[in-house]
Amino acid sequence: MFRNFNIWFLLSLLVSIIVSIPILTVLTSFFEETSNYYEILKDTFLFEYISNSFILLFFVLIFTFLIGTSSAYLVSFFEFPLSNFFKWALILSFAVPPYIYAYSLTAFFENYGTAFTILKNIFGDANYNKNIPKFDGMFGAILSITFSLYAYVYILARASFLYQSQNLIDLGKNLGFSKFKSFFRIILPAARPAIVAGLSLVAMETLAEFGAVDFFSINTLTTGIYNSWITFDDLAFANRISSFLLLFIFSLFIIENLSRKKAKYHLNSRGGFKQKEKTKLYGSKSFLSFTFCFFIFFFSFLFPLSQMLYWTIKFPENFFDLQVLDLLLNTLHLVLLSSLVLIVFSLISNYGNRVSKNKTLNILSTLSISGYAIPGVILSIAFITFIAWFDNSIIKSLGFTSIKKVFIGSILGLVLVYFIRFYSLAFNGIKSGYEKINISVDESAYLLGYSKRKTFMNIHIPFLRNSLLFIIILISLEIIRELPITLILRPFNFETFATTAYISASEDLLEAAAVPSLFLILIASLFIIISSKYILREPNE
Amino acid sequence: MSKNFFEVKNVDFKVGGKIKVANVSFAIENEGDIICLLGPSGIGKTTILRTIAGLEKIKKGSIELNGNLLSSEKENVEPEDRNISLAFQENSLFPHYTIERNIQLGAERNKDKKNYQVNLQEIIDLLDISLILNKYPHEISAGEAQRASLARSLVTQPDLLLLDEPLSNVDQSFKEEIQEKLKKILKSLKITTIIVTHDSYEAFYLGSKCGIILNKELKQFDDPYNVYHLPNSIEVVNFLNRGTLVPAEVTSPKSLENKDLGTITGNFIKPFPIGSKVKLLIQPEDLHHDDTSNLKFEVVDRKFRGTNFIYTLKTHTNTLIPVFVHSHHIHQHEVDEKFGIKRPIHIDHIVCF
Repeated sequence: MFRNFNIWFLLSLLVSIIVSIPILTVLTSFFEETSNYYEILKDTFLFEYISNSFILLFFVLIFTFLIGTSSAYLVSFFEFPLSNFFKWALILSFAVPPYIYAYSLTAFFENYGTAFTILKNIFGDANYNKNIPKFDGMFGAILSITFSLYAYVYILARASFLYQSQNLIDLGKNLGFSKFKSFFRIILPAARPAIVAGLSLVAMETLAEFGAVDFFSINTLTTGIYNSWITFDDLAFANRISSFLLLFIFSLFIIENLSRKKAKYHLNSRGGFKQKEKTKLYGSKSFLSFTFCFFIFFFSFLFPLSQMLYWTIKFPENFFDLQVLDLLLNTLHLVLLSSLVLIVFSLISNYGNRVSKNKTLNILSTLSISGYAIPGVILSIAFITFIAWFDNSIIKSLGFTSIKKVFIGSILGLVLVYFIRFYSLAFNGIKSGYEKINISVDESAYLLGYSKRKTFMNIHIPFLRNSLLFIIILISLEIIRELPITLILRPFNFETFATTAYISASEDLLEAAAVPSLFLILIASLFIIISSKYILREPNE
Repeated sequence: MSKNFFEVKNVDFKVGGKIKVANVSFAIENEGDIICLLGPSGIGKTTILRTIAGLEKIKKGSIELNGNLLSSEKENVEPEDRNISLAFQENSLFPHYTIERNIQLGAERNKDKKNYQVNLQEIIDLLDISLILNKYPHEISAGEAQRASLARSLVTQPDLLLLDEPLSNVDQSFKEEIQEKLKKILKSLKITTIIVTHDSYEAFYLGSKCGIILNKELKQFDDPYNVYHLPNSIEVVNFLNRGTLVPAEVTSPKSLENKDLGTITGNFIKPFPIGSKVKLLIQPEDLHHDDTSNLKFEVVDRKFRGTNFIYTLKTHTNTLIPVFVHSHHIHQHEVDEKFGIKRPIHIDHIVCF
């Protein structure tokens, strides 16, 4: 037992150290000198960075709450045309990252864009540009992020609504509540922790968002970090801004964790769960519900998809110019490698926690999942900072050759930072799978003569198979969409669909960005459709 | 080495560093014997089973099985190497296998053993689980899961079988039938068994010996008859809810005197000097009803228990004593009526503390 304890302890310690590198690097930036950039920024853009981040966050939270909660309420409680289709179709928006949504929005509404062409084809030549609304700048960024991220709120709110027992609704009826009053007095308060958890995820992603805000030239803390590194080559200051952002994100992370604990309590339906009967809607109510859900589905998914498809067909040369197979192989290469590393380490950590029952190990593992809260830009810059420091201060001083090339601009470095960023996804996914296996199941196995290894291989792995598959899909989805880490740390001449789309868009070649964006959406959609069964699991399944 | 088949010597049973039951010693003399451990919930009965199974370690004392040391401060045979089977109280079936596969996995453990003689079908029939064999653990009720778990443990034909509240989720109507069949099968397979339960009647029926665990101690370990009729401490009396303790004075080697009941004769299970002030245990069956008796008390409660009534009487000194009366007795007494007690009072086993 003690021999095992040491192995598990050391492995988990190693994972925790790797994952905490960026946080430590960011925090130590306060002890380093920065360039004049800080002085310039303090008097010019710093306030703008902060206020823009807050404005963006505020409106995205409001819109994702409204869209996510109301659509979840409609598909969970009512039956109307295509309501079963919308149940999973509404999560397809995950396939469209905010930056691709931003490209679509611009492509459609810009002067002489797709909207102009449609109007021209229908009504003939005229100057429609002045009548076509422009969705750019802050408003464009808010819309892009909202439509891409509302699904976080939708999924968690829906799960919470589904787990609310019919008994609860019946109780409301018994107290004479109208549907309206039931929603505000019973359903919504009961789902509050889940909705807060969803909004916290949206908030973290919004503050970490890079592609869309950069495309719309909105100066936020995240782009500020990137600029201070790219433009002024001031890593220390980039890290210093990062620490402010991290502080804010950690507050959200704590809120999210606290509310999730409560959510668990609310979701506990053991014993008293009674499946809800959906109310069938007729007439205008049915029509309005359908229209609302269709509107959300159309604008979050069909609109960017069709815009990218339209451009791909309109400019087929872009398709032939692009090395689609190379991009696909590169993307799959990253996905497979990262998934494998993440799954193996997360399984080891989880199993270590389970068999050693060590409190310190438990705390260490909990700390090591904080990587998800750190924006990709910060992670990448902190990683580069750390490697540069490690290389200069330790490796070179010991007389060894520089290791910078091994980690920066290499697949190894990229996978390592993906590992830090997505470790919590894998760890928590496996953890929740493990929580369904009563510890007495392990003990029964031992008593049937199974060793710990045999219990792990013959009992745990087969049971966790579905969870593992789901986690691999989630990780793949994240990596396919991921932009800043890949952009900063990828090897020379190594592109993915995301980086190719970004580079074309940043060179004002939106048409060229369409092909990789389309492929990205299609592949991500495929992963979402495969995993929708798990994401949208119902209480009786 | 011990001559007993199984022996626990001076063991402190702990969970998370805290002692649950201290300095426990008991033994099972022969292979195939069944013993039961009784005690209130949370007292540490399950801890004892888990420790015997090797899932918890000990720092004091020793546990031996068939002449082999399993646990001591220095030695700890891993659970998988003990050939001890534990049927958990909660559902411990492998969730991704059907009930049939779960049971087969149990059977695989000792199927190559020389004297393996378990008849799988017999166990399936005994526990009435043939209809759930193709189901998964989440598709069956708690009672069914418990029976399936019991089946998986039985088919391993272990050297020692540990059953943690094996029938706690089984319907009352089915319980007695299973108890009978379970006892029969354990005896026929000669499986040495320790059963933990809080149901004293289950323990008295199944066990050849019963241990009573109270206040972190094994208070009594004895034949069921002795535990029932000759409890060795006030705690055991209270736990088994056997009757009322009334004050009395020992007047001779075969009698004592109580203010309300007068002279009581009988055989003391433990001698007391004449003149000793003692607490006498009055059990419901110790006193007999007699309408013609001049010793009468007021009825304060009457409980109908099917085959009998238990009257609670208030004595002149306000002590409440229980009296057992067959339910076919010619007439019944209502609350507030007077109820006669037959004199002279003679109790076969006088239990005093």
